Amino acid sequence: MKDFKLNNENKITSGFVIPDGYFEAFSDRILEQLPKEKLKVITVYNSRKNWYYAVAAVVILMLSISIYNKYKFKQEELDSVTLENYIACHSNISEDEIVKLLEQQELDKMKIELNAPDHDIEDILQSNSNLEEYLIN
Amino acid sequence: MQDEKDFIQELLNPLTQNVAFQKLLGMYQRPLYNHIRNIVLNHDDADDVLQNTFIKVFKYLKDFKGDSKLFSWMYRIATNEAITFINQKAKRNGLTNEALQSKLVDNLKADTYFDGNEIQIKLQKAIAVLPEKQQLVFKMKYYEELKYDDISEILGTSVGALKASYHHAVKKIEKFVTAN
Repeated sequence: MKDFKLNNENKITSGFVIPDGYFEAFSDRILEQLPKEKLKVITVYNSRKNWYYAVAAVVILMLSISIYNKYKFKQEELDSVTLENYIACHSNISEDEIVKLLEQQELDKMKIELNAPDHDIEDILQSNSNLEEYLIN
Repeated sequence: MQDEKDFIQELLNPLTQNVAFQKLLGMYQRPLYNHIRNIVLNHDDADDVLQNTFIKVFKYLKDFKGDSKLFSWMYRIATNEAITFINQKAKRNGLTNEALQSKLVDNLKADTYFDGNEIQIKLQKAIAVLPEKQQLVFKMKYYEELKYDDISEILGTSVGALKASYHHAVKKIEKFVTAN
């Protein structure tokens, strides 16, 4: 067989046949499908929107928990401050009454805490230059 | 280029969308069908791929940046869809791409929508054994008669490389047809 040369031959077509009326039917089919595609887009948008809501809900929940904890903490602080103020203002509570409220163990502890060694007391007295003035007055 | 920008705006505007899309179908359905059919060979498969191509064009038109021509962008989508389709078909049938191509060419004789003579079938057989890129370049240049510049924009390959691919493809085809 002689060498086949593509350029020496007549143009060889693909030989594919297209069914009659195919393109008209195809256009109609595609145009019918397009609104469905639009609907799909809306669905995706809605599901995205739901995600946004879910994320927003979680963020709000987290913020509320932290705000609640902060508020709770401040409440406790306020309570002890109020209590101190109350005690400070009501100076008519005598030491005896306070002592009565304390347990024996707590009192012993206080004694130990206040039991400072003698040389420490001497040091404090010596270092205080205004001592004489206090003694005279 | 300005006309094309206006046309894209018409395609995106819900009020003008339907008429514009009909125009788009009128302009591109035949060349895109031929392009896809040359890759998948069978009419029913070409119909599926063409449908997916236009649906994708519609879906992603809003993201079209206008860096290339609308024509090349659509051809690129069609090419990707057709190649993906062939790859998936080969995988489903447990065949290599080359084996599937040869099988598809063998099926052409019995295809109602193929009216080719012996030399047309022989040419298809010769193309089927080429590497994928050479097949694509040969089909786009020889059957579809696209310009190298357009093929270059569609496939993202330089004109020089395309010319070399086409030259190699022709040489291999001539050798195959002479030997068979």
